[in-house]
Amino acid sequence: MSVFVSEPVHNPAAAGEPEFTRADLVFYGVDHSGPSFEARIFLNSPGADLSTPRDPEAGYAGSFTIFGHAGCAGDVGHCDVPTGAADPFDVRPPHALTPQTKTVIITDALRLVTDPELTITIVPVKPGALSAELVDTLQFDEFRLLTYL
Amino acid sequence: MSTGAVSPQHPAVPLRHRLNIDKMTPEQLAAFRAAMSSAMGISDERGYNYQAGIHGLPLPISCDVAHGRPIFLPWHRAYLYFFELALRDQQAGVTLPWWDWTTDRHIPHAYSERDADGHPNPLFCAKVDPIAIEQGAQGGDRKGSPTRREPGADGAPPLPSPKDIRDVLALGDFLDFTHQLEQLHNNVHVWVGGHMGDIPFAAFDPIFWAHHAMIDRVWRMWQLRHPSAGVPHRLLAEALPPFNMTVRETLDSNTLGYDYAVRSAGAAGTGSGTGTV
Repeated sequence: MSVFVSEPVHNPAAAGEPEFTRADLVFYGVDHSGPSFEARIFLNSPGADLSTPRDPEAGYAGSFTIFGHAGCAGDVGHCDVPTGAADPFDVRPPHALTPQTKTVIITDALRLVTDPELTITIVPVKPGALSAELVDTLQFDEFRLLTYL
Repeated sequence: MSTGAVSPQHPAVPLRHRLNIDKMTPEQLAAFRAAMSSAMGISDERGYNYQAGIHGLPLPISCDVAHGRPIFLPWHRAYLYFFELALRDQQAGVTLPWWDWTTDRHIPHAYSERDADGHPNPLFCAKVDPIAIEQGAQGGDRKGSPTRREPGADGAPPLPSPKDIRDVLALGDFLDFTHQLEQLHNNVHVWVGGHMGDIPFAAFDPIFWAHHAMIDRVWRMWQLRHPSAGVPHRLLAEALPPFNMTVRETLDSNTLGYDYAVRSAGAAGTGSGTGTV
């Protein structure tokens, strides 16, 4: 399972930036169709891997956990998320596998990083021997780093 | 919060209290186990497999309307409500216990012993619907029967801490709160592992219900702490399929006849009634 390392982004906690009361890392379009796993998040620690401790000193900022759908148990097309504009008269709930949004509160961890730029590293972790292998399971559209005054 | 009344036309009646699994008396635990055993022996819609299958397999996976969505808490409150009623049909007076994983950092003893009182412990494992197993295998999720666990395995996320719960209880916005609480919920599912570790099979593991009772309890605590905050108005009329309830109807646990307590003990009064369980 590959580790994700972001392009550098502006660090809102850098010296000279305004104080903030809360910082969120928000991941949009997160796929949850596969197996369950934890995604550990590290700040300015591009070499982080499974052995990197969950310590602030190692850049650990938090995690999100996918409680996975674990594959498609239906027939062909059952798990295909519809694309295109929704019919305004269609009151059915969204498709089961519509990608999710995950928000991780990283306020304390971000305050420890004063570099002008920031990279986000995400290490997906397979939990235990009984769970399925992770093969490119971490998929998301984009992330945003949001701070609040 | 000792009484509840469905409407002004109904007299206030004593609420039932969901208890900490580690604080139940031997009699309370025996009654709960008896209810679970009875439900596990029924193959129709009153039975355990049917109830567990509502959450995941066999298709449809009904909880798909709930996970990662703002009705996560109301949907699961309705789910527990109807499951608890099904148990009470088997054993009068029983309530679902809750597992406080912030203090009991292992699978609770009541769920981890293979046998209890000389019989197989119905809280240790459960048989899984064979149609669910077949459908899961078709999608690549090969689970067997009975249920298995892999608590705290290498790579599992940590169980939520007391600080984690304090932090989510401090959040003043419902959508923020439910999102963060669902994350802690996910961690517990994956920490237990095995059947509990993914959506299609999670509810077959008997500990699912104690985990979700704890989640529901945290929501109840948040409601008490933030009485003026709540579910956004636009969600109140949302249906919670397959349950014939709306979000609004789940908001007050007292109108559903229950609340949470660490322990419960009672005795008969001067009338003919019996003490509360």
